[in-house]
Amino acid sequence: MIIAEQKPLNEILEMISGVERLLVLGCRGCVAVCSTGGDKEVGVLASALRLGRKKAGRPIEIDEETYVRQCDPEYLEPLKENGKKYDAVLSMACGVGVNFIADRCPDVNVLPALNTSFYGANLSSGEWAEMCAGCGACVLHLTGGLCPVARCAKSLSNGPCGGSVGGKCEINKNLPCIWHQICEKLTGRKQDQLLREIMPIRDWRPSGHGGPRRRIREDLLP
Amino acid sequence: MSEHMNNNHQITKSPNHQIGRIVAFCCNYTASVATDTLREAGLIPESLDVKKLPCTGRIEVHALLDAFEQGAEAVFVAGCRADECHNLSGSRRAEKRVGYTKKLLKELGIEPDRIEMFFVHCGETQPIVEAVREMTARISKLEQLHST
Repeated sequence: MIIAEQKPLNEILEMISGVERLLVLGCRGCVAVCSTGGDKEVGVLASALRLGRKKAGRPIEIDEETYVRQCDPEYLEPLKENGKKYDAVLSMACGVGVNFIADRCPDVNVLPALNTSFYGANLSSGEWAEMCAGCGACVLHLTGGLCPVARCAKSLSNGPCGGSVGGKCEINKNLPCIWHQICEKLTGRKQDQLLREIMPIRDWRPSGHGGPRRRIREDLLP
Repeated sequence: MSEHMNNNHQITKSPNHQIGRIVAFCCNYTASVATDTLREAGLIPESLDVKKLPCTGRIEVHALLDAFEQGAEAVFVAGCRADECHNLSGSRRAEKRVGYTKKLLKELGIEPDRIEMFFVHCGETQPIVEAVREMTARISKLEQLHST
């Protein structure tokens, strides 16, 4: 899922300094699952902003709502009209939601409440880790399912760098060297012949370096 | 006329100093029992607004912030001692949420000392009296959060 983190409150308060009527808009997609932008977090943020503005002597009127998703057009439809009632809509979706509102609801002043961080997994309650970089050219079949693009600090394609010590990354001693893990796993499974294959120089165009990406599936088009 | 607590934990009236509203979220099994007794005995001030919960683990950050938004000068949560919680980890969860609320208050420029977690043995009244005294003492040193 997409992992996000709420911006610092003072940054959000600065963003809405001229706003008198605000809609805090959550999303029940990824950001709800990673406890950053669902119903509960909408309530906390709205309450904190009201308190902050009251303390500053400039009370603010805040409505709270959460959409099923902010990245599908049908769910955004009501916002085209409703959004006009507010000086701003503070989206608690990932950057996709904010962009989609900006595209689909041109009369709505949409602002981001979150920093969108990465594609990650939930390690335990309250802890998430990056597992995928969305590079567009998956090599997991060659690496025992462990991603060297997302999980190697240098995104190396052919084995660990010289900084890997005792199975740990030189960038962060608490971070396992993913190439160390890939080697251990493939050797343990007697698939070490995969390690002798040299991966070609990576084409980064599918990862977004060739411009914004778009996917079309003809059979689903209207 | 507002209320003060003297050294014997009795409430006294003072015309000169207004005690702000304090909201206490209390576990129904432990602290709420104590607050009922204390209120009957006049040992906790009228300005203490006690909200009973089936377990303090039920408390949400939103509710804690909401108490401040609704006019509280201080908030505290009184739950079971960590090893006595009916729901095993309820009061520990509450402690974490109080900690998170402190962080949010700090970000808003509001003193994090305005909120605190207290652990109370079932039926004990003294820790509740002390919690009220502690929070009263804290807010008496701070500027009022809400204009009267």
